[in-house]
Amino acid sequence: MTHAIKTVSRRSFLAAMGSLAAAPVFSGSTLAASLLNREAADGVPLFASAYRKADGEFGVGIVDDLGQILAQITLPGRGHGIAVAPEGSRFVAFARRPGTFAVVVRPFEDVQPELITSEPGRHFYGHGCFSADGRLLYAVENDFAAARGVVGIYDTSGSATRRIGEFETNGIGPHDVLLGPDYRTLIVANGGIETRPDMGREKLNLDTMAPSVVFIDSRSGDILAQHALDKELHQLSLRHMALDAEGRVWAGGQFEGPLDEVPPLVGVFSRDAAPKLTAIPEPVASGLQNYIGSVAANAGGEVIAASAPRGGQTLFWNASTGAYLGARSIPDGCGVAPIDQGSFLISDGNGALSLVSDPAAPAEILARPPGISWDNHLFNLAKIDAA
Amino acid sequence: MRFWVMRFWFLAAFAVFSAAPAMAADFNPPIDRLISNYIRPAMTEFAAVTDRLPDAVASVCSSAGPAEIAGFQAAYSDSLRAFSRVHFLRFGPLLDDDRLSRLAFLPDPRGIAQRQIRKIYAQKDPSVGSAESLRDKSVAVQGLTALQMIAFDTESEVVLGSPDDDKDYTCGYALAIARNLAAIAAGLDADWSDPDGYRAVLLSGGPRNDRYRTSKEAMEDVFNALVTGLIIVRDQDLLPALGASAAKAKANRLPFSRSGNSIVFLSGELHGIQDAVASLELEDMTPTDFQWIFAALDFEFGNAQAFLSGLEPPLRRTFGEGDSYSQISVLAITLKSIRDTMALELAGALELAGGFNALDGD
Repeated sequence: MTHAIKTVSRRSFLAAMGSLAAAPVFSGSTLAASLLNREAADGVPLFASAYRKADGEFGVGIVDDLGQILAQITLPGRGHGIAVAPEGSRFVAFARRPGTFAVVVRPFEDVQPELITSEPGRHFYGHGCFSADGRLLYAVENDFAAARGVVGIYDTSGSATRRIGEFETNGIGPHDVLLGPDYRTLIVANGGIETRPDMGREKLNLDTMAPSVVFIDSRSGDILAQHALDKELHQLSLRHMALDAEGRVWAGGQFEGPLDEVPPLVGVFSRDAAPKLTAIPEPVASGLQNYIGSVAANAGGEVIAASAPRGGQTLFWNASTGAYLGARSIPDGCGVAPIDQGSFLISDGNGALSLVSDPAAPAEILARPPGISWDNHLFNLAKIDAA
Repeated sequence: MRFWVMRFWFLAAFAVFSAAPAMAADFNPPIDRLISNYIRPAMTEFAAVTDRLPDAVASVCSSAGPAEIAGFQAAYSDSLRAFSRVHFLRFGPLLDDDRLSRLAFLPDPRGIAQRQIRKIYAQKDPSVGSAESLRDKSVAVQGLTALQMIAFDTESEVVLGSPDDDKDYTCGYALAIARNLAAIAAGLDADWSDPDGYRAVLLSGGPRNDRYRTSKEAMEDVFNALVTGLIIVRDQDLLPALGASAAKAKANRLPFSRSGNSIVFLSGELHGIQDAVASLELEDMTPTDFQWIFAALDFEFGNAQAFLSGLEPPLRRTFGEGDSYSQISVLAITLKSIRDTMALELAGALELAGGFNALDGD
């Protein structure tokens, strides 16, 4: 996938900040100064992540590639994933499961965020993605009465976002959804874990769970392919995904089986081939507590990064050869996004934003905004040039 | 790694069976001790020493003789030492009004503050000449890091008050920073002394407290702040300076190396975290099988201080000489061990939840 640099007009960005600020975070913050003091404020890569503040407030923060917070948008509850529109001017922040809100944010315009509420009988799972033309929003949802995963389809072209239908995901607990490299196929990771909103986050079917990665035709809703793991890995809940340069899907999982087992946690999926599991060498593997938090590719799709917050490690692979490149220690690190071809920005629960540009050198902490706990995932807001 | 994890799980399970309390543990007494016996005295000390900083700036600016220079150096180091003992208390008053970032803009590996200060000088921006207008500027140009930038040269020598074209401008800016620091520190001291302030939020965990539903939640917040403090010392303060090898070491990446105060700062933050942990007096709440933790922490904190005291300031000149690189390398290993003892063993023994992302992931 190639993307032009989405340039951010300094003037419009600064003008928009006032409308975004739920708290007077900008007076005295480094934001305006950090952009204004840059050699070139245009073309600066921007990132977005959900956070929790020390006072318990939840929101979404926008940061630059130096880790400085540029804007904060308060959310009604704890956030999780963010779907960024292809043109980069809008994003949708989803509630963490089993939440029922999503918020449409236009960070460069002087408009209030739009609140979307899930349909009766549905809740959001925390992730979504846009269609290639930016008109449709796809959100993974739970039809909890039927214990059935669906992709809710929303038309975002009007003045208000409208739900216009849904597709089945052929599984339980769809957690992440991507638009495939053909810009038409939706790829969904069915995590396989059944939950019900009236029972909070309790896992109801660990003995029978059956995670899978499905390929869905976004025009018809037809299931084009569905890949499950071997029976002995049926408790590896496949949850987060990233596309590599060859259009393959790297999926990271959370193992719900016995803690003394050390199963593979990352697999490579494509529509027409059987899944391949990647090995994580010892002693790294057994320190991860069988838990991958996020998966991301570098700007060119040649390097895959997967965070393991319970092990305090972020792992790297060569996407084309599958070779394991190493791991860097980042305590409670979870959100991962590419900065460019050769580096990743990694966010953690202790507030730090760290730069990793060499899997053999320590992560460099760029910033640690006081009182912020970055939540699970980090997304590129402005597009990054792959060239 | 595996060893640690297995041991942690085994011991945590063991603790549940051997010392299961009939009721949920009450963490208010240790939090109260932390506030009364560590936080409040440390904030009062910070306010007292920063209150002397404006006079030290004025003095060196009126006459930059050896005594005045030494006086400013001492006042700056004292302020930094006191700051190092409170900066890891990243909750409540220190977060209000961007206070922590305004006191010191850290980390700053890409030199954001330097770039902004250069611009201020290029424009001779008059708004940095008073504490009142300085507080509306970028946080990066307001505090101890900014004062270090304008008051010391790259050789760790005091340049504040020395006769050059910018002397009056720099002195006005430095005085504004000193007054700004004193005002923020006084505000922190007042807020922590307020019985209805954040102290009350921390000590009223329960169904009617929006922030903390239980005293354990409040305890988890302050405990995790101490662990984060240890992460900062190692991952943020030391590792960038160590680089990949001795040949690639960068002493100027150590915090406050420009003013020759890296050891003051590092030693102060470690003493502070150690004293804060001790003030909790967690021994009585900790199962017998985990009592070894407290002696182990004292021993390792002692080792860490010994490594630091073997170094010769300013590290910008001496780092790399003798065995200083290996001393700091071993210090980093010691700090990882202290962190594991706190975050895995002690947190496990007290059944405190750890990292935000690790805790209940998705």
